[in-house]
Amino acid sequence: MAKRFTLYITILLLVGIGLAPVVSMFIKSLFVDGEFSLQNYETLFQSDREWRLLFNSLALAGATTLITVLLGVPLGTLFAKTDLPLKRFFTILFVIPLLIPSYILAIAWFYCLGRSGIVAMIFGVDVGILTSNLLFGFAGTLFVMVSALLPVVIILTITYLRMVNPSLEEAAMLYGPWTTVLRKITIPLITPGIALASLIVFILTLGEFGVPSSLRFDVYPVESFTQFSAFYNFNTATAAAIPLGLITLVILIIERFFLRKKTFIFRTMGSEKKMLVVPLGKTKPFFLVAVSILVFIVVAVPLCILLHKSVSISAYTEAFIRSIGSIMRSLVYASIGATCLVVFGFFLGYILERKAIRLSYAADSIAIFLFALPGSVIGIGLSSLWNTPETNFIYASMCIIIFGYIAQYTALGERIMAATFSHVPHSMEEAAQIVGTGWFRRLSGILVPLAKRGMFATWFIGFIFCLRDIGITMMVYPPAHDTLPVRIFTLMANSPEDVISALCVIMIMITLLPLGGLGLVNKYVRGSSYGYVKR
Amino acid sequence: MIVKIDNVSKSYNKHSVIKAISLDIEKGERVVILGPSGCGKTTLLRIVAGFIHPDQGKVIIDGNVVADNGKCIIEPENRQVGMVFQDLALWPHMSNYKNLEFGLKAKKIPKVEKRKRIDKIFEKVQMTQFKNVYPGELSGGQQQRIALARALVMQPKILLMDEPLSSLDADLSLTLRKEILRLQGELAITLIYVTHDREEAFSLATKIVVIESGRVKKIGTAKEISNYLSRSSNDGC
Repeated sequence: MAKRFTLYITILLLVGIGLAPVVSMFIKSLFVDGEFSLQNYETLFQSDREWRLLFNSLALAGATTLITVLLGVPLGTLFAKTDLPLKRFFTILFVIPLLIPSYILAIAWFYCLGRSGIVAMIFGVDVGILTSNLLFGFAGTLFVMVSALLPVVIILTITYLRMVNPSLEEAAMLYGPWTTVLRKITIPLITPGIALASLIVFILTLGEFGVPSSLRFDVYPVESFTQFSAFYNFNTATAAAIPLGLITLVILIIERFFLRKKTFIFRTMGSEKKMLVVPLGKTKPFFLVAVSILVFIVVAVPLCILLHKSVSISAYTEAFIRSIGSIMRSLVYASIGATCLVVFGFFLGYILERKAIRLSYAADSIAIFLFALPGSVIGIGLSSLWNTPETNFIYASMCIIIFGYIAQYTALGERIMAATFSHVPHSMEEAAQIVGTGWFRRLSGILVPLAKRGMFATWFIGFIFCLRDIGITMMVYPPAHDTLPVRIFTLMANSPEDVISALCVIMIMITLLPLGGLGLVNKYVRGSSYGYVKR
Repeated sequence: MIVKIDNVSKSYNKHSVIKAISLDIEKGERVVILGPSGCGKTTLLRIVAGFIHPDQGKVIIDGNVVADNGKCIIEPENRQVGMVFQDLALWPHMSNYKNLEFGLKAKKIPKVEKRKRIDKIFEKVQMTQFKNVYPGELSGGQQQRIALARALVMQPKILLMDEPLSSLDADLSLTLRKEILRLQGELAITLIYVTHDREEAFSLATKIVVIESGRVKKIGTAKEISNYLSRSSNDGC
């Protein structure tokens, strides 16, 4: 009884915090002056500009997906399956852009390729104008989005390659060389992983606000934000958010009905047989140089530009003076958000993995839908629901930001915890139940200690995502509650480049710090590594 | 009668796993449920434990209806049964002592009484020297004894065992069977034991229940079941 109560309350809270705002926003968009009307949508779809925005959003998402897959799958394969030197180091470097707010990459490239950027200083104004024209628009936005989301494809490719049963490859090696085995057996086997990566990249690009806004490429999330924040036109902002919500919904339905059934695991993680390694032989130097060039362009250049621009004590002093409040708020809000994500992730992960109640599938669908929704849509939804005189105590406090984090990122915690619980046999809990312990004692005595590694991982990953968030925070932050990403974004237009660069470096540092924490968790926290079936 | 299973059925996705099984178990009996893999024997044991609720039929333990037509009347934690799981399910983050203490703490047994019971049961399973060791540091046979001790320390009315010896070698399995018989005799506890191993069943049981495809095929003593099974194999069944 207590167990069901806890689990249903968790779902109810997720619905209240995450889904209700989106539904409320949709319903409100159907009424004009208190009367049911589709006027907002008519206005929206009769405008050529809106259709162009839709085209831009889909074109950017499609092109980013295509290029990240074309680059990410070979890179993931190189890092997971070959004897490429420094592959672990390269993997870590490639992941960095995913951890920092993507618009920071846009800022770095602006300092490099803008009209008065480093390239213009070296090669002259004409070249600067050319590179600036390329950067501000589709090509530049696409380039930054690819560098920001490439890690998603690399990580998923590596993960799925590790799940391929080596025996399947060994069987194929009897009939052909490694290149054929990779092309005909290994890569086809990880198609579900590639499809999942494509889906995630597509959805994240579709909802991206920071990069297109920084590089002045008009897409739907920017339109929603502009209508909402600049023109205070709530109805149009809402109507502009709905197409994104609908596209997300359609993609998720496709995933639920087609992709999910084709996702098969060939062996469990950590099984005894080791993954086969492809020897690169004479091509090793070629791949090493190619990967080094790519990592230099995608990761090293933007980071070095920011460091170079900010390299003065006065810049950092000024940055701290202007933003110390935002830095502290960022750390506090991200910590609270991450803790909430651990709680929600714990129970929802439990529901998903144990099929503990009948609503497990529905709860998972809600969490994934909210994760896939653009942050700006959730932000408008939260404003729509909570911006009333009665609920102003929530809307005007940091609670609204935390609600946004819970709504958007619960799916992360849910999936990490579900994976953690899949390593904890049901019998562990049943053994506690049969000796007479109730739900809460089983939670504190058995489930939490056995799942603590996953809980720490959820906290650190949740912390990083909350810290780097801008889509939701930008929409809902109350006065004097701005976080560091929001602060940088608002200062960008009228502050010296060295101060902005210093703020970006600070942002990167405090985002990367939890990685050290994750490393410590891996090293010291026992949990899913217990030898449950060691007999 | 300590356990009465009355016309119990269970299906998963329209696939019938247990088909109208009825079974009476007397106090102090050693009942072995014998059958091939997938015949429903573990499901039946888990229905008695309370982890699975039957779609139809009643389960009565010590005069109390614990499950009735799809409803769980008494939760597993309140059925006063002990269980040794197939994978033993020893909590790896707790020492052996803590493994035994966990349930007693939940039942709020006084400290002195708690320690007395734990020490006594450690002695009975001859594991006193491993009290403060973690389960992961023990051999398979030793882990088996701790799992048994954890179930027995709660002084259950019925002990359920789900193929606990299936992963042990023949010699160790034989030794532990003798241990189980000794402990069951000393504690006069009712034992319900699930296995697919005939030899194990014949050496442990006072009553054997043969299950096939979710139905009870035969109930009898070890000798009766031995004859029945040889006749069945001679008939080509």
